[in-house]
Amino acid sequence: MGDGGAAELREAHCLTGHADRVWSLAWNPSPGAGAGPVLASCGGDKAVRIWKRAADGAWQCTDVLEDTHNRTVRSCAWSPDGKLLATASFDSTTAIWEYSGGDFECVATLEGHENEVKSVSWSASGSLLATCSRDKSVWIWEMQPGNEFECVAVLQGHTQDVKMVQWHPILDILVSVSYDNSVRVWADDGDDEWHCVQTLTEAHNCGHSSTVWALSFNHKGDRMVTCRRHLSTLTGYHGRTIFSAHCSSEDIIASGAGDDAICLFTEDKSSMVEGPLYRLLLKKEKAHDMDINCVRWCPQNPRMLASASDDGTVKLWELRGNALD
Amino acid sequence: MDQKHNNEVDFLEPSVLLDETHYQAGFKNGYNDGLVTGKEEARQVGLKNGFQVGEELGFYQGCVDVWMSVVSIDQDAFSARVRKNIEQLAALVRSYPLSNPEDEQVQDIMEKIRLKFRVITASLGAKLEYQGRPTSSKQDVEDL
Repeated sequence: MGDGGAAELREAHCLTGHADRVWSLAWNPSPGAGAGPVLASCGGDKAVRIWKRAADGAWQCTDVLEDTHNRTVRSCAWSPDGKLLATASFDSTTAIWEYSGGDFECVATLEGHENEVKSVSWSASGSLLATCSRDKSVWIWEMQPGNEFECVAVLQGHTQDVKMVQWHPILDILVSVSYDNSVRVWADDGDDEWHCVQTLTEAHNCGHSSTVWALSFNHKGDRMVTCRRHLSTLTGYHGRTIFSAHCSSEDIIASGAGDDAICLFTEDKSSMVEGPLYRLLLKKEKAHDMDINCVRWCPQNPRMLASASDDGTVKLWELRGNALD
Repeated sequence: MDQKHNNEVDFLEPSVLLDETHYQAGFKNGYNDGLVTGKEEARQVGLKNGFQVGEELGFYQGCVDVWMSVVSIDQDAFSARVRKNIEQLAALVRSYPLSNPEDEQVQDIMEKIRLKFRVITASLGAKLEYQGRPTSSKQDVEDL
């Protein structure tokens, strides 16, 4: 006992190549039998980069998806079967890329939003795609045979920019997060009629009044972390706005913020208090030189974390230490 | 009024009244002018608005008519969902209260029509758009 006991986040790789800030990351959930992890990153340089680990362990940028969006690419998301990548851009479109035989091809472009698309998310079933925009609306699309997409519904209700949409990890329930300081939950009645079934506002909080920037579901889908309020409120760990949070399959929460730091939280099972309680596992100061926009755990390796920053780099981290169980 | 100061009041009264009389005459002139020019201007604005609304609705009705023709020739040209949306758009356009512009719901119905139209064109992948009105996106660009 004592060998490497304390938790440590070690920088394993620094991926450079983007010519502007990196906004978002997405790990391919099913890269294929025998294939290593695949990471997509997107940013202000209007491009999307695909990163893979080579045989010697070094990471390389294997593809650059460009010349399609003509403004910042703000968000990207893989379909659950790993075959399609959706990229959401400030140019108000969402592009769908298919990975076939070593090449990425843009097979569809979803138009409809009036202005900047901020986020895109695939449902667990893989047939539904959600996008949200500065135009205050959320669009739900259904994939048809032949990579055609039909608009199923346009969800209106938010009174300001919608920053992020995220599907529940199991059910076809959608959550959206907006500058209007509310979190809305949407579900359908089975007949293409989608309704807002719940709205979480400041009134449900213990006093936080800042904008909700992002959210993440835990593995089982019975808990949701929002970067303004957690189920058990965790405050004071970051000095600036928290831009991103993500739960690993081991339910370790990673957060990245404007203070250039990454924090990791884990459930405090020793606590006698009713309800889930989380404690800070570690804080990595100066993880990047500038704001951290996105943190994502690798699905194939729950101890590997990727982070994206305004400094234009993507970093891969390894979580080590015995004190995790 | 105090009867003791009758003489003073009588002496001043015409002057005060004169001021008041001129004021009333001037006001009446201006009011009548305003009525006439205001009504004319309102008529012009009404004509213009009416034309714009008519033109936009006509555009959507035209698209609906073409789509409906396609469906009558080939039932499977569009998916069931898109067909349903086209029917809903047709119903919305029909429901627009053309002869009652003061109906409170006109703005609401027009927004619904515009949105339903965008949903259909998005699903069809068609770059169709009514050109007549300014869009909201031509504002400051936000980089977050």
